[in-house]
Amino acid sequence: MTSPVLSLKNIKKVYVMGESEFWALKGVSFDLYEGEMVALMGPSGSGKSTMMNIIGILDNATEGDYILRGENVSDLDEFDRAEIRNAYIGFIFQSFHLLPRLNLLENVEVPLTYAGYAPRVRRDRALDMLEKVGLADKRRNLPSQISGGQKQRVAVARALAMNPALLLADEPTGNLDTQTGNEIMGLFHKLNDEGVTVLIVTHEAEIAEQTKRSIRLRDGLLETDQVHKQVRPQLQGAQRQEAGLAS
Amino acid sequence: MSELIRKQAQLLPPVNEAEDLEEFIRFEDEPRSGRLSFAEILKIAWRSIRANMLRSILTALGVIIGVAAVVALVSVGNGVRQNVTNRFSSFGTNLLTISSGQGGGGGPPGLVRGGGAQTVTLADAEGIAALADKRISGIAPALQSNSQQIKAGSNNTTATLIGTWPDYETVQNAPLQAGSYFSSDDLDKRRRVAVIGTDVLTELFPDTTASALIGQSIKIANISYDVVGVLKEQATAGFSNPNSNIIIPINTYLQRIERSEYQGEPTVRSIAVHVTDARDVTAVETDLTTLMANLHEKTNSADYDFNVRNQAAQLESVTAVFSTLTLFLGAIAGISLLVGGIGIMNIMLVSVTERTREIGVRKALGAKPRDILSQFLLEAILLSCVGGLIGISIGVIIAYFSTKALSVPLVVSLPSIVLAFAFSAAVGIFFGFYPAQRAAKLDPVDSLRYE
Ligand SMILES: Nc1ncnc2c1ncn2[C@@H]1O[C@H](COP(=O)(O)OP(=O)(O)OP(=O)(O)O)[C@@H](O)[C@H]1O
Ligand SMILES: [Mg+2]
Repeated sequence: MTSPVLSLKNIKKVYVMGESEFWALKGVSFDLYEGEMVALMGPSGSGKSTMMNIIGILDNATEGDYILRGENVSDLDEFDRAEIRNAYIGFIFQSFHLLPRLNLLENVEVPLTYAGYAPRVRRDRALDMLEKVGLADKRRNLPSQISGGQKQRVAVARALAMNPALLLADEPTGNLDTQTGNEIMGLFHKLNDEGVTVLIVTHEAEIAEQTKRSIRLRDGLLETDQVHKQVRPQLQGAQRQEAGLAS
Repeated sequence: MSELIRKQAQLLPPVNEAEDLEEFIRFEDEPRSGRLSFAEILKIAWRSIRANMLRSILTALGVIIGVAAVVALVSVGNGVRQNVTNRFSSFGTNLLTISSGQGGGGGPPGLVRGGGAQTVTLADAEGIAALADKRISGIAPALQSNSQQIKAGSNNTTATLIGTWPDYETVQNAPLQAGSYFSSDDLDKRRRVAVIGTDVLTELFPDTTASALIGQSIKIANISYDVVGVLKEQATAGFSNPNSNIIIPINTYLQRIERSEYQGEPTVRSIAVHVTDARDVTAVETDLTTLMANLHEKTNSADYDFNVRNQAAQLESVTAVFSTLTLFLGAIAGISLLVGGIGIMNIMLVSVTERTREIGVRKALGAKPRDILSQFLLEAILLSCVGGLIGISIGVIIAYFSTKALSVPLVVSLPSIVLAFAFSAAVGIFFGFYPAQRAAKLDPVDSLRYE
């Protein structure tokens, strides 16, 4: 049995605002295995984005352990965290977060730049990625000169530029119509088939149905964690493990 | 899996799987340094400067003005000092000057005005001349008038009259281009003869050459004088223009121009004594002091009513004054450079706040704290260094024109330029560091959420 790509153990997160504090996560545990495609669901304010930020090591859990590739993330310094974010994780934000002054090609190049690839390599790779999302012909456009769905596709291209093993997408289709939403989902399926582990935050049931497993949060707690059809044998094992932890 | 999704995926440009894999391998095999290259940091910094061009220029303006002021002031100050030094060295360091008054006190000859009573007389000069040995090659007592009206025919000009002895030529290093100095005979007989400077020549006799002028007459205070010699053109100094001097025998001066007395003897402004060998200057200085004390019947040095000064000491005191002045002006200009630095810091702080979200995105995509730090630090350094370079150019241009206007040599001192540039770079680093560090320390999630 393969060991999990990442493992969350009793993750808690508190937001302190002056006198009052708010527990956005109250102890969530689950594992993700290589090649999984998982939907993270739950009502607004249930802690999905908070969870994603912790998994993407943009944020730290207040309590609990997050083991990524066998390493406890809280032991890492900011330098190592930056390297993991750069090379291992692809993050797609709900609001795209493209850099407004860079054209599409340059936007996709950003993670490659921080990895220290030579300009030629960067350019070629970024162009490949833009081609993959069908926007190569708009590579010289600025983000302000393309539509929302196209922005989301650029964000996907950027997240894929470094060929990450883990793809995190926070409501990637939230701002898109069904048609473009499905296009993006199609892209995720293709990547997943190539072996990329995908975690998608969504509140749309149709999106969740397309995944292999969905995890549901409510008020900072894990409510359900169910595997859809086409379950791989090792996932069943993982599933049993999580059920035990969650209940 | 839904058929629809599969179809959607196929709508995307077809990708050859084998080629795709090959490309993927190729990309993975490419060398990566794992760090942001300097060229890349420079590019990012430059883009953000360019994106706010006007703001960047206004920010750099503080440094530009500061550096320009430092370079211009120091260059002009050095030029003036150089000019004074040149003038002094043209007299030679072999010169001793005796003047009225007590104690030391410096200042170039042009500035020495007996503050108190004039006590040095022509008789002192004669006394020195009578006892002068081989070590002394020339003695020139001098009187100097305020600017006088000079006429020749219908032409008019003003000039400074100097009454002296013929030794003036060697003592003050004022050679002729035509004619000769007046003789001791002219001096004794109080002849009305004059040696004129080149400016007087061109003003009064615009169409005449120097040699043709000898024997012509000019009118000083309505009395005519014969021109016997024309001085060579001399470098103008900050204080006076030796080319507009007219030199006449001192006895004529005392009779025709002005005369004041001390104990029955006509006073002189100063007596210049030229020493043949520079090594004898100190010894002659001591001897002259003793001689003057005897002539003035003073036994106690506290009672001396005269000064014997050598050029080297005077030069030192003058250059000291100018160095202090230059330093002082440079320091004031330096303060404006500091203010420019504060301007940079201010704008960098604004810029960090404005670009909080960009910083968040960059961090989420793998920017390390040191990448963000270098990006903002380099932006500040770029602003201040480009400002410094522009400031240096403007400063040199200002120095060029103002030294021209003051007719002093242009002394662009390399150290002052290097220093100004280094200082502006240091200002960039110093004032850019805090904002850059603030950017580097921003929390990625908070910055992404920043509206
Ligand atoms: N920086 C913060 N400070 C204080 N409270 C916060 C902060 N960020 C999130 N919260 C709170 O934590 C809870 C969970 O927020 P989170 O963004 O994770 O929800 P979500 O599940 O992503 O919701 P949505 O579906 O609306 O995006 C919310 O109640 C929110 O108000
Ligand atoms: Mg959210």
